[in-house]
Amino acid sequence: MTCAEFEILLCDYVDGTLRAEEKTALESHLPGCAACKQLAEDVMGVTAFFERVPQAEPPAELMTRILHHAPRGPGAIAERLPSDPPRSWGKRIFGGIFQSWLQPRYVMGMAMTILSFSMLARFAHIEPRQLRASDLDPVKVWQGIDDHSHRVYDRAMKYYDNLRLVIEIQSRLQEWTNDPSQNGAAPGARTSERGSQK
Amino acid sequence: MATVAIPAAKWSWESPYPQVRTTNSLDADVQLVERCLSGQEAAWEDLVRLHTRRVYSICYRFTNSDPEAQDLTQDVFLRVFKNLRSFRAGEGLFIVWLTRLTRNLLIDHYRRTRMDRATESIEDQTSALEENTAAIARTDGMLAGREASELLQAALQKLSPELRETVILRDLEELEYREIAKILNVPEGTVKSRLNRGRAELAKALRRQKVRL
Repeated sequence: MTCAEFEILLCDYVDGTLRAEEKTALESHLPGCAACKQLAEDVMGVTAFFERVPQAEPPAELMTRILHHAPRGPGAIAERLPSDPPRSWGKRIFGGIFQSWLQPRYVMGMAMTILSFSMLARFAHIEPRQLRASDLDPVKVWQGIDDHSHRVYDRAMKYYDNLRLVIEIQSRLQEWTNDPSQNGAAPGARTSERGSQK
Repeated sequence: MATVAIPAAKWSWESPYPQVRTTNSLDADVQLVERCLSGQEAAWEDLVRLHTRRVYSICYRFTNSDPEAQDLTQDVFLRVFKNLRSFRAGEGLFIVWLTRLTRNLLIDHYRRTRMDRATESIEDQTSALEENTAAIARTDGMLAGREASELLQAALQKLSPELRETVILRDLEELEYREIAKILNVPEGTVKSRLNRGRAELAKALRRQKVRL
């Protein structure tokens, strides 16, 4: 018997499951091989030592802790069993595909995207109801945005000018109200000034 | 070549391991799992009561820490609770399934705490010096159970995780080779080889602690 064969059989020897002839062959190998003899002594010494070692006992409260952390007991396991009525094919297919899309964050994100696009379309003067393929031409979209932005700018400027005029007229009227000596001559002069301004 | 006579008494080896696990205990496990899955309230408690000692023992021998072993045992049963449906009685024994789950959790824990152990190893080296001088009393070979347990714990920590888990599963939990092979996902030959090496290293570690084998 070689040392490799000895090592293979050693576990079974320790277990007492070797056949008689194998056991004899193994034991006859030992006296001529110091390394295998040492290995066998170590292995059997340790195995005998294990007999002296008591079992590790868990503390009594451990089981309570474990049961406490699974307080719903086996009912909870049963709840997850496939005892529920089977889902229809429609639900299996569409439920699986769209389930993730129907989460609140995705719905909110989708709503914000639609709102942004609708605001952009409104700003670019694109009417979704009468939308044609030619309306989606980038050049046309750009022209629409450019045109609209100019109109907005012009409107803002006009509003600003008008507002300045109104404030000026109001301040002049206030001055006339406070200074009655100029009430006779001034209105004409002021009117001509206003006309030239316009 | 002259053969050296070895005393017959020394080599007349009586195996400490049970040869066959009773079929009653296997049936009981399967029935318990079935009862658990059918929603019987007492079955889960029985399952926990029946297997807590084994799971705790493996965790304690592997980690050498009672608090860690308790936490890991709790984690194992939480995982069992969540995954009990995935156990198939036809594909193997419940004990094998449970031990594999425990072992996987232990390996995860071992990898997670690798850095902590690296710093602790320096403290171990200094305590080992004290251990060698204070262990003269152990040479009589008559160790009390508790002391034997502590010595074994210290020696087990010197083994690599692969050898340690193999020795624990065979020598302490008395699982069969094919069960250990399934749990560790290695061939039976590898299990036996690791077992030989693990036991030999353990013997050396115990001798260093002045234990006479």
